Amino acid sequence: MKEFLKTVFLVDLLKGLWVTFRNQKPSLVYTEQYPEHRPSVAERYRGAPRLNVHPETDETLCIACNLCALACPETLIVVGAERNKETRRKELTTFTYDTSRCMFCGLCEDACPVDALELTQDFELASYTREGAIWDRQMLEEGPLPTQYRF
Amino acid sequence: MEDLLSNPYVHSLIATVLIILLFPLVAGYIVLAERKVLADLQVRLGPMRVGPYGFLQPLADAFKLLLKEDIIPAAADKWIFWGAPVLSTFTALTAFAVLPLSDKFYVADVNIGILFILAMSSVGALGLILGGWSSNSKYSLLGSLRSAAQMVSYEVPLGFAVITALMVAETLSMQGIIQTQLDKGVWIAFSNYGLMLVPTVLFLIAGVAETNRAPFDLPEAESEIVAGFHTEYSGFRFALYFLAEYASIFVICSIAVTVFFGGWLRPFPSVEVLKDPLDVWFPILLFVAIGAGCAIGVKRLLLPEQKAVIGVVALGMFLIAGLFAIPAVNELIIGFFWFLFKVLAIVYTFIWYRGTFPRFRYDQLMDVGWKYLIPISMGALIVNGAVLLATS
Repeated sequence: MKEFLKTVFLVDLLKGLWVTFRNQKPSLVYTEQYPEHRPSVAERYRGAPRLNVHPETDETLCIACNLCALACPETLIVVGAERNKETRRKELTTFTYDTSRCMFCGLCEDACPVDALELTQDFELASYTREGAIWDRQMLEEGPLPTQYRF
Repeated sequence: MEDLLSNPYVHSLIATVLIILLFPLVAGYIVLAERKVLADLQVRLGPMRVGPYGFLQPLADAFKLLLKEDIIPAAADKWIFWGAPVLSTFTALTAFAVLPLSDKFYVADVNIGILFILAMSSVGALGLILGGWSSNSKYSLLGSLRSAAQMVSYEVPLGFAVITALMVAETLSMQGIIQTQLDKGVWIAFSNYGLMLVPTVLFLIAGVAETNRAPFDLPEAESEIVAGFHTEYSGFRFALYFLAEYASIFVICSIAVTVFFGGWLRPFPSVEVLKDPLDVWFPILLFVAIGAGCAIGVKRLLLPEQKAVIGVVALGMFLIAGLFAIPAVNELIIGFFWFLFKVLAIVYTFIWYRGTFPRFRYDQLMDVGWKYLIPISMGALIVNGAVLLATS
């Protein structure tokens, strides 16, 4: 009898309507308005690489030890260095990082003994050409420059 | 000039032109409201890009549809393909002629009003069938077959529900039906000791099926037959079908409001105490609240253009609220306000159904129509008739 009355008064349908009605809160919305509001990624997210420089002197922290290139499973890092005759130290000349082959495993930043190479939280890596995905030393030191859109 | 204004045809002509000019815009905003409400129900945002919070989306959609290439399939029957959407739009808009939009604003008050609307919406089905047939595509044909079968099955309970209400109202004229409800002091939906609630619910269910909307939207079930009868249509012709669809939704909701929910009458039309709170304070508060909502929304926008658009909307809302405060103007527009308010409330429930219920399977659709709705509506007709006879 109870089942019958439930069917007659369309109780299940009304329940369904109530479920959808009570779920229309703006706070529940998942959609992100992407370029307008940038999503916040996880704290340990591994994104675009950056070659850190000394914050005061602007000199590179990299000691050209080549450990990152050796650690990289894809061998996409090429470190170019030159021995300075006077100080007898190896100095970084070029650094290329092919983001098109990178899988963001983070082994390079783990291998780096001086915290020079770092995978940042930036995620905008698209470029118009394949060559654009190969980052040179200048790009790596400037770090990611996310485009600011005007809305 | 006096002669011209007192001529009954001039009044009708002005109303006709106004409706034809304004309805596409209203339909566009109903579409926007549908997309926003549906997004709300599905925890999304809906259109957000064109204008503030997607406010100008209908205009962008209209421009897109008008500027699109006009494609006619090579194997299509050109003349019928051309004429079918016109027929649909024409019949859907013709039904507006007898809608009692308010006590003062309507095109015509015909003594067969509701019959005229039902006849026109039945002819509108022909537009869908011809469109599906002339496209020469299997999906279109399947869609139009389905819509034909569905309309035939659901027009019966719809008709029975309306007939039950007409027995209470004792007239076919749309204004007459509302006048009866005013005289009785109760909406037909709640009259006859509450027995009229059954046909009311039946009408709301059959009305959804009649307008081919979810959960009865099998004629355009995208997972099975692409887009149904309008698969091959694009651009302006598609826009016409779209307009016809939303016009028929508006018409069905208007019938429901007129026949069951008191048309342009306020709730509790016979209680004099509620006249001021419902006819003056309610619309003022409503529009002030909407305006205030827009004004708060201005803060959260970034661009000056968007702020300007929303600011204008907020000002407009305050202006409308002000209009309701002037007794002479209030007299003119209050009927229109209540009519639109009720129609939009029912349109909202239609959208709500769409956001809630999954689509029926085809045999289930026919089951619901023939095994449940038709017998129940016949039973409601007989019981209501007997009660009316016994109490008269």
